[in-house]
Amino acid sequence: MQALDIRPCHLDAKTDALRTQVREFLAEALKDCPPEQRARNWNGADIAFSRKLGERGWLGMTWPKRYGGHERSALERYVVLEELLAAGAPVNAHWIAERQSGPLLMKFSPEVLAPRLLPAIARGELLFCIGMSEPDVGSDLASVRTRAEKVEGGWQVNGSKVWTTGAHRSHYMVTLLRTGPKDPGNRHAGLSQLLIDMHSPGVTVRPIYNMLGEHDFNEVFLDNVFVPDDFLIGQPGDGWRQVGAELALERSGPERYLSCTQLYLEMLDAADPHDSHHRVSLGRVAARYAALRQMSLGVAGMLARGENPATPAALVKDQGALLEQSLPDLAHELFGGRRQPGSPLDQVMRYLTQTAPSFSLRGGTREILRSIIARGLGLR
Amino acid sequence: MNQAPNTYNNDAQAPSELQQMITHSVQGLFAELVSPEVMARFDTGQPPSELWQPLVDHGLTAALMTEAAGGSAASWLEASPILHALGYWNLPLPLSETMLAGLLLSRAGLQVPEGPISLIQTGRLGDLQLSADGQLDGRCLNVPWARSCQWAAMADCGGRIALVDLRQIGVKLTAGTNFAGEERDSLEFTNVPVQAIAPLQVADVCEPVWLFGALARACMLVGALESSLDQALAYANQRVQFGKPIGTFQALQQQLAHAAGSIAAASASTQIALHSAGLALSSEAGQPTSLTFDVAVAKVCAGEAATLVTSIVHQVHGAIGFTHEHSLHYSTRRLWSWRDEFGSDAQWAEVLGQSAISAGSQGFWAALTARDLPLQTPLTRSASHAAA
Repeated sequence: MQALDIRPCHLDAKTDALRTQVREFLAEALKDCPPEQRARNWNGADIAFSRKLGERGWLGMTWPKRYGGHERSALERYVVLEELLAAGAPVNAHWIAERQSGPLLMKFSPEVLAPRLLPAIARGELLFCIGMSEPDVGSDLASVRTRAEKVEGGWQVNGSKVWTTGAHRSHYMVTLLRTGPKDPGNRHAGLSQLLIDMHSPGVTVRPIYNMLGEHDFNEVFLDNVFVPDDFLIGQPGDGWRQVGAELALERSGPERYLSCTQLYLEMLDAADPHDSHHRVSLGRVAARYAALRQMSLGVAGMLARGENPATPAALVKDQGALLEQSLPDLAHELFGGRRQPGSPLDQVMRYLTQTAPSFSLRGGTREILRSIIARGLGLR
Repeated sequence: MNQAPNTYNNDAQAPSELQQMITHSVQGLFAELVSPEVMARFDTGQPPSELWQPLVDHGLTAALMTEAAGGSAASWLEASPILHALGYWNLPLPLSETMLAGLLLSRAGLQVPEGPISLIQTGRLGDLQLSADGQLDGRCLNVPWARSCQWAAMADCGGRIALVDLRQIGVKLTAGTNFAGEERDSLEFTNVPVQAIAPLQVADVCEPVWLFGALARACMLVGALESSLDQALAYANQRVQFGKPIGTFQALQQQLAHAAGSIAAASASTQIALHSAGLALSSEAGQPTSLTFDVAVAKVCAGEAATLVTSIVHQVHGAIGFTHEHSLHYSTRRLWSWRDEFGSDAQWAEVLGQSAISAGSQGFWAALTARDLPLQTPLTRSASHAAA
């Protein structure tokens, strides 16, 4: 069990002042933002809002100053993230770049790409998407078929990516692809990541509409796309290791349990305090929120200490998705058949009920996460 | 990756020297004391009273007592390995009760008697009343280990701690047990005097026996949960079907990973509550703390984990886990019992829910980050009436 012991981590008083600043900013910035907008949580994108965060120094908070960062602590960053998410701020535009692409470039291209691109990420101006999944490659990422051939001064890329969130508005895509031959002895060899400028000739983005009829993710076609040598992230063959590190960051944040917060808040306002069923059910959720927050903070603490949180992050994401996905069902249980049509509860529930199936798919399916946890438990 | 200075506080991260010492001493001790024979004998109705003295000799019963009373004055976090081990090894003796009784009696300046001590919270599970002049009247249900204890530490809701002799005239005991066969007796008091009484106000805690009792049960639940999971993992790696260990099958891996997730939630929330208990005990009387909220969260999470994990570990073990011969039931029967005691997960959830509903959409998040959802204690009247 030692592997899955998530030690709590206490925020110190320094973060209280920061939390107050963020709350004051959000109270003003979101004062006209209705519940059904807040329900989008980190799926909502607003570049102007991202820039405002950049102006306040709340993007790239932990990065060194030479990359446009602010050299704050990982836990200060955590406080800003959880406040943004709990308020339902539209953070999606910068989210991927700030969460994982920036740290990736800082680690694997510290002298070339990081100094060039990170300052703009920290200003909220540069948007990234992640090209991992492919039409025939979902959970089994090591089987990607997109290829890069070495050519004079760079690489020539052919293939396609799918479920690429935000590709239609992004400047760059971090792209997992094959640069070396398949090695039957090591499935993870020969994979690399290239940074692709989405405005390059040969890049085509086609929208995929989700079941709500909304456009978040895309197909991306790469047809003889030229990528200069500088845009190789790290060394050829580093791809698998990089993806593992990125996914740990992708899974570790508070966005993995807060996605349905607006629905919980609407339920609290609609609840009958004299109904014991309401009290017990909503109280169980309150306890889960409190526990998940401590676990999520614990993972942030591990990141702050430079530890690898891959297994605990998988566990927290799995538990977080269970919480998130239980909320539309609970709303149905408590308020089904007697909601006021068009009420905030009704609108928020309509959106989140139809979005919730994706919560245990994105960033690693429940089955993949539980396989990672099982390995951590010593099962093979 | 992160090159900036880190801002976090180490106090709940690295175990203190005393906690390491306690951890080290209990690990070997419990493994040695709680033999399969002890458990088998206990299930035929014979508590292993011979194990009490070694617990006393190792200072475990007095771990939470003040130094003035001869205890170690350990914090809850430091003493928690004892409660965890008690759960992990299923030790069938009133150790957690005696530890908590020692804490409350010694802090109230009362003498702590020798031997195991039971616990009573007035206003819970019965209609027992402690009058202004220290007379007891009424019934109290599910009193832990009353048959094995001459003494009980009793708290009322008015900030008083009393020491009660359970063997005196006017105390009628009706024997009972929880699902694990641990003594949970009913007591009826008729005009019975307490032997000593003193005021004790711990921060904003209104029912110290109930609250700290719930915290102790949460710790024990986490220990028993980890014991169940360890047994299931060992079994899954060793049991071969269809030519390979059943732990290699994804169906089992998925379930065991799910179980581990809920145990991690129980464990993390219990750690936080233990930390808060330390802060509350060093606070001024009446000072607001997050202890009640944190204990409520811990007891809900530990109780819910007990429900899920018992089901999964039995499924993994198959028929052998359902036999009396196999050791699995020692943990699972305790999980089913302890999730019930000092407030079930549903009862604590109801208190949390009431408070969350009053906080509403505008107040909930701020209250959650401050761990300050003001809880209405004692628990709703209906809860204690239903039990009585």
